Amino acid sequence: MLLSPNAMGRRLRYGLFCTTAIIALFLLLPIVFIVLLSFGSSQWLIFPPPGWTLKWYGQFFANEQWMTSALVSLKVAVLTTICALALGLPAAFALVRGRFPGRELLYALFTLPMIVPLVIIAVAVYALFLKLGYTGTLFAFVVSHVIVALPFTVISLINSLKLFDQAIEDAAVICGASRLQAILKVTFPAIRPGIVAGALFAFLVSWDEVVLSVMMASPSLQTLPVKMWTTLRQDLTPVIAVASTLLIGLSFLVMLIAALLRRRTSPTR
Amino acid sequence: MKMAARPTPAANLAARASRAPTAQSHSGEQAVRWRGATYLLPALLFLGLFFLVPLLGLLLRGVLEPTPGLGNYEQLFASSAYSKVLFNTFAVASLVTLFSLLLGFPLAWAITLTPNGWGRWLLNIVLLSMWTSLLARTYSWLVLLQSSGVINSTLQSLGLINEPLAMVHNLTGVVIGMSYIMIPFIVLPLQATMSAIDPMVLQAGSICGASPLRSFFKVFLPLCRPGIFSGGLMVFVMSLGYYVTPALLGGAQNMMLPEFIIQQVQSFLNWGLASAAAALLILITLVLFYVYLKLQAESPVASSTAR
Repeated sequence: MLLSPNAMGRRLRYGLFCTTAIIALFLLLPIVFIVLLSFGSSQWLIFPPPGWTLKWYGQFFANEQWMTSALVSLKVAVLTTICALALGLPAAFALVRGRFPGRELLYALFTLPMIVPLVIIAVAVYALFLKLGYTGTLFAFVVSHVIVALPFTVISLINSLKLFDQAIEDAAVICGASRLQAILKVTFPAIRPGIVAGALFAFLVSWDEVVLSVMMASPSLQTLPVKMWTTLRQDLTPVIAVASTLLIGLSFLVMLIAALLRRRTSPTR
Repeated sequence: MKMAARPTPAANLAARASRAPTAQSHSGEQAVRWRGATYLLPALLFLGLFFLVPLLGLLLRGVLEPTPGLGNYEQLFASSAYSKVLFNTFAVASLVTLFSLLLGFPLAWAITLTPNGWGRWLLNIVLLSMWTSLLARTYSWLVLLQSSGVINSTLQSLGLINEPLAMVHNLTGVVIGMSYIMIPFIVLPLQATMSAIDPMVLQAGSICGASPLRSFFKVFLPLCRPGIFSGGLMVFVMSLGYYVTPALLGGAQNMMLPEFIIQQVQSFLNWGLASAAAALLILITLVLFYVYLKLQAESPVASSTAR
């Protein structure tokens, strides 16, 4: 009764509809607001803005620091994605197909970086790299990002690998393919949605990572979120709204890809 | 795939825990068995070297620096300034959990009711907000809530307030910003629980003469409890360890544990105290997460939704 829209009574139905509409507006408010503000002409972020302008976009793209940091972000995110897949794929195969003792425990270990607060991982890794003299290097960025991206990648790989019937791969082997050939030609295409999702997660985790990056950054090497962070702590210039809008655009794109993937894979399930 | 697209760690963990291991077509042969295990080595080596060792190293510093012993822990609990940080951490996490539950519940309900119409729009909005850059959202709240911000100027022009409300760099700002961020983490597990409830049970209640209000509190809410508990606990745990939003929207008066840890490391170079605080935070997180896993395993509704 409370779970069927037609039988729940009109008053209750409208009440719920209105409540959720307000909450949905609350969820959308900061996102829409920041996008609008990035086109507003007011230096002091007055809303509604006195006029509309692309000035802040011009400033963003003309500023070497913003551009370099965006490029560093991209580089780190791509490298993180590659490393997370390279480490995650064999690990997922082993965890799904292996029957060695302690599998559950190992799985828990792989999810641990997702549970331990980021701040603690950041401080711990920072301490290590400080000793080794690696802070402020691309290596430090990528390693720290892979730690937190790996659980997401491994979980999505495991989920799709579990749905794949290994008998199909075995059939290819019986028909004369080597195990590696069978995995590359049969299994990988079949679990591609899982691989793509795992890659997207790794990319997005790295792209949006603030805490680890702030600890790893040096004045000469920083990612876009670090640049936003340090700028934010000084003033609330509209250029940050531009950076935010670009980040929102990217997230939107990734979400769209994920939705398309889901639609394409759903009939097979 | 649907599961994988939702990065609620625990939902995945629970999904896995509740599923029996799939039948393996390759059994026997020791060699094959251990060859499988070697594929884990690169990832294990990586995590061991860059995650476990630094983590243990950090925890050790808490009892070794500046002098061996439990001095850092004594300091942490004895000083009133530090215990205020602890209290703040729990207060903020509790408030955030409460508000995100209050706001997330109607959303999850509407999404369950109309999965194809209005509910799908709501779900997409929730997902969009979840995927949007954390910094972008926090910055937006910072601008919205500041004393010359839209919310204050609107309220002033409506004549509701005379002086701008202080909504940022204090508890209010942190709670608004964090509740906003945590709503998706309530909606997704709660919606999974709700969609597993058999509508017949509620119908039975109303046939037996229960008013909507009565069946809400006596039937619907108790059936949602596993989702409320697991979502709420997850949000609580996540809130305890949050750094970015409290650091930007909060003030010096209501510092939380993560901010305290960073401050000790970056500004005071007091690794011992930072490490003691980190150990405390890890302990609380792991204990609560263990409770969470226990709850998941025992809730019949949650296990039936796990795919």
